[in-house]
Amino acid sequence: MMGMGLLEWVLELLLSPQVFAPVVFPGLVTALVVLLTIIWAERKIAARVQMRVGPLYVTRRFGGVLQMLADGTRYMFQEFIIPETSDKGFFVFAPVLALAAAILPFAFIPAAPGFAPVKHPLAALGVLASLSAAPLAVLLMGWSSGNKFAIQGAVREAFMTLAYEAVVFLSVLAMGMLYGTLDLEEAVYRQVIPGLLLNPISAFTFFVGMVMSAGRLPFDIVEGEQEIVAGPYVEYSGIVFGIGMGLAYLKLYAFSLLFSILYLSGWEPLLPLYSVYPPLGGLMLFVKAYAVMLFVAFLRSVYGRYRLDQALRAGWRIFLPLALASVMFSAFVKVVAYG
Amino acid sequence: MSTSEVVRSRLLAREGGEEVYELFIGPQHPSSGHMRFIVRLDGDVIVSVDPDIGYVHRTMEKLAEGREAVKAIPLLERMTIIDSHNVTIGLVRAMEKLLDVEPPPRARYLRTLLSEINRIASHLYGIGIAGIMLNHSTMFMWAFGDREVWLQLAEELSGARLTHTYSIPGGVRRDLPQGFADRAEKAVRYMTRRLEEYAKIFLENPQVRSRYEGVGVLKRGEASRLGIVGPNLRASGVKYDARLAEDYAAYSEVSFEVPTLEEGDAYARMRLRIEEIKQSMSIILQVLRKVPEGPIFAEKYLKLLPPKLREQVLSTGRVKLPALFASMKLPAGEAVARAEMGHGEIFYHLISDGSAKPYRLRVVTPSFRNVILFRYLMPGHRFMDFPAIYGSLDYFPPEADR
Repeated sequence: MMGMGLLEWVLELLLSPQVFAPVVFPGLVTALVVLLTIIWAERKIAARVQMRVGPLYVTRRFGGVLQMLADGTRYMFQEFIIPETSDKGFFVFAPVLALAAAILPFAFIPAAPGFAPVKHPLAALGVLASLSAAPLAVLLMGWSSGNKFAIQGAVREAFMTLAYEAVVFLSVLAMGMLYGTLDLEEAVYRQVIPGLLLNPISAFTFFVGMVMSAGRLPFDIVEGEQEIVAGPYVEYSGIVFGIGMGLAYLKLYAFSLLFSILYLSGWEPLLPLYSVYPPLGGLMLFVKAYAVMLFVAFLRSVYGRYRLDQALRAGWRIFLPLALASVMFSAFVKVVAYG
Repeated sequence: MSTSEVVRSRLLAREGGEEVYELFIGPQHPSSGHMRFIVRLDGDVIVSVDPDIGYVHRTMEKLAEGREAVKAIPLLERMTIIDSHNVTIGLVRAMEKLLDVEPPPRARYLRTLLSEINRIASHLYGIGIAGIMLNHSTMFMWAFGDREVWLQLAEELSGARLTHTYSIPGGVRRDLPQGFADRAEKAVRYMTRRLEEYAKIFLENPQVRSRYEGVGVLKRGEASRLGIVGPNLRASGVKYDARLAEDYAAYSEVSFEVPTLEEGDAYARMRLRIEEIKQSMSIILQVLRKVPEGPIFAEKYLKLLPPKLREQVLSTGRVKLPALFASMKLPAGEAVARAEMGHGEIFYHLISDGSAKPYRLRVVTPSFRNVILFRYLMPGHRFMDFPAIYGSLDYFPPEADR
C-alpha cells in the first residue's frame, strides 16, 4: 500500500539520527527540558543551602518544578521592546544568531554509538567551533543595544572569550592526542579507563573553561548584575530576554555532554535498551552530563563573583599553562601507556 | 551659548577627555541603593565617582520641628529603620538633658540591651548586602535569615520588629519579659556557631578574600582627616567609639572591647563587623546577668501619672503615656548628645525655646559622614571593585539623606 509506505518513511525519517538527534535527543526538546529543570534544580540547591524553600507554589506537589515553565509563559506574553536608540536590525537578529550558535553543537554530539547527525572525524572541533560562535552573537547583542551597560557587558564577553577559549581548545587537544582522534564516538571507544583518570589536568582545565564559558559562578562576569545590571541582555525584554538567560544553560548543556564524552567515558556502560532503539542507550550519557551540570549549579551556593581582571589573569597565567601542561602530559601518557 | 549647554547640569559636565566612559549607576539599578553614582571609567579603571545623594530626603529635621518633641522619636526612627533604637537614643539623651531627668538604672541597662540587639541586626544587614554585592547569595540569605533571630528578640522586648520606640525621656517603655534571658542566651549560642560558618563560606573563602583584600584601603590619617565614623574608622586603626566617648545607657558598667584593625581595606571592615557582633553578644550576656531590679521609668514622671495608671504601669511593666506627656514643654536651652549606631556615631543638637516643639533639631548621621568615602576610595580601582567597596562601607542612603 502506498499510504503505509509513506507512514513508514515518515517514521523512519523522524527516528533517523539526522532528525531525532538534533530535534529530540540530545537536541532541542531535551535541551528545553534540561533548561527548565536545571534552573529549578539550581534554585532548589541554593535554597537548601540558604535555609529557604526555593520555588514551590507552581505545582506544589512536585516541589515547584514547573516554576520555570510558568516564568517562560510569562515571558511569552511580555512586550518585546525595541529601544529607539538601538541598531534595530542587529538588535533583533543577534539573539536568533546566538540561539542558532548554541544549538549547532548538537549536530556533532553523538547520543549513542552510531547515532550522530553528522559523523565527522573532527566532531570535537565542530562542537567547539560552533560553541565559540555564540559569544560573537552576544557581542552583537550588546553592541546593537545602544546602552552603556550593554556595551560594557559586550566588552567583558569579548575579554572572557579570549581567556577561556584557548584553554578549552588546548584541553580538548590533549584528549585528542591521547585518544588519537577528534571523533567523539571513537573517543568513547578508546577510553580504557575514564579520561578523567587518564589526564586529570586536562579534565580540570576543561571544567574551568566550561564554567567560564557558560558564565556560571564564580565567573558570571558578563551578566554582572551588581555592576552592569544584565550586561549584553539589559535592553532585551520578553521571550528574547528569556533566550538570553537560557543561552548560558544551553552552552553549559553542550559542554557537559562534551565533558561526559571526553572524560567520563560517555554512554559506557551501554544500556541493553540500546538494542530497542539506539538513543535509549544514550541515557547513561545524559545522566552523566546532568550530574556535571548539577555540580556547576551547586557552585552558586559557595562562591561569589571574581573580578574581570582576576578571571583574565587566571585564564592566561594559570589555566593556559596548565592546559599546555595537560598536552605534554597526554604526550607522556601516550608514549608510556599506548606507545 | 546654546540652551542645551545652559541646561546641562554641573554634574553632567565631563571630566577628562573622550576616552572617559561615563556610567550612571542608579537610582534605578540593582545595587545602587536609593541614590545615584556618576562613575567615570578609563577602560576598566575608575577615574572618579560622584555620589549623588538626596533621593530619599524626607525633611526629617524640619518635620521634627513641627511636632511635639516626644513625637520626634517614632519619626526619626525611620532614618535608619534597621537600627532604630540606636538612631533615636541620642535624641532621647538630648531631651533628657534639657528636661533634667535621668532614667533609673534598670532602664539604662534595658537600653543597652536593645541597642546591642539592634547593632547585631544592623551589622548582619550590612554583611548580607555586602555579600550580594559580590553576588554571594548564600551570605546574603544567611545574614538576613539570622537577623530574624535578633528581630524577634527585639520584638519580644519592645513589641515591634523594627520601629521599637523603646527609649522615651525618663526611661523605657516596657520591662523585660519573662524568660527573655533564656531566649537571648540561646540566640547568642546560635549566633556564635553561625559566625564560624560565616567565616567558612564567606570571610575565609579564597574567592571572597581575593575580592576584598587590599581593596579600598583607607589610611589611618585619611580616615580621621575626612571625619569617618564607625566600623569604617576603626578598621583603619583609630579607636573611637561614642559608647566610650560619651557615657550613656549602661556602657560604663559593662566591660567590652572596641575592636580595631590596622589594614583599613574592605576585608578589615568586614572582619571588624564580625568582631563587633561578638562584643555585642558579650555585652548582652553581661546586661542580662547584671540588670538591677527597680522601676523602668523615672520617679519624677511616675508621680505625674494618675494613681490607677501608675498602678497599671508598675504591675504590667508597660508604660502608657498620658496625653500630658506628649504636650510636655521642653525647657528653653540647648543640648547635644551622641550615640554609637551600627554604622557609626550619630550626633544630635536640640534647641528649645520653651515650647512643646523643638525650635531646631539638627542630626548628623554616620552615613552622611561616610558618604565622602565613595569619592576617595574608588578612583584607581577596577570597575568591578565598585560594589565590593560599596558593600564594605555599609552605607545606608536613607540615613544619610534624612
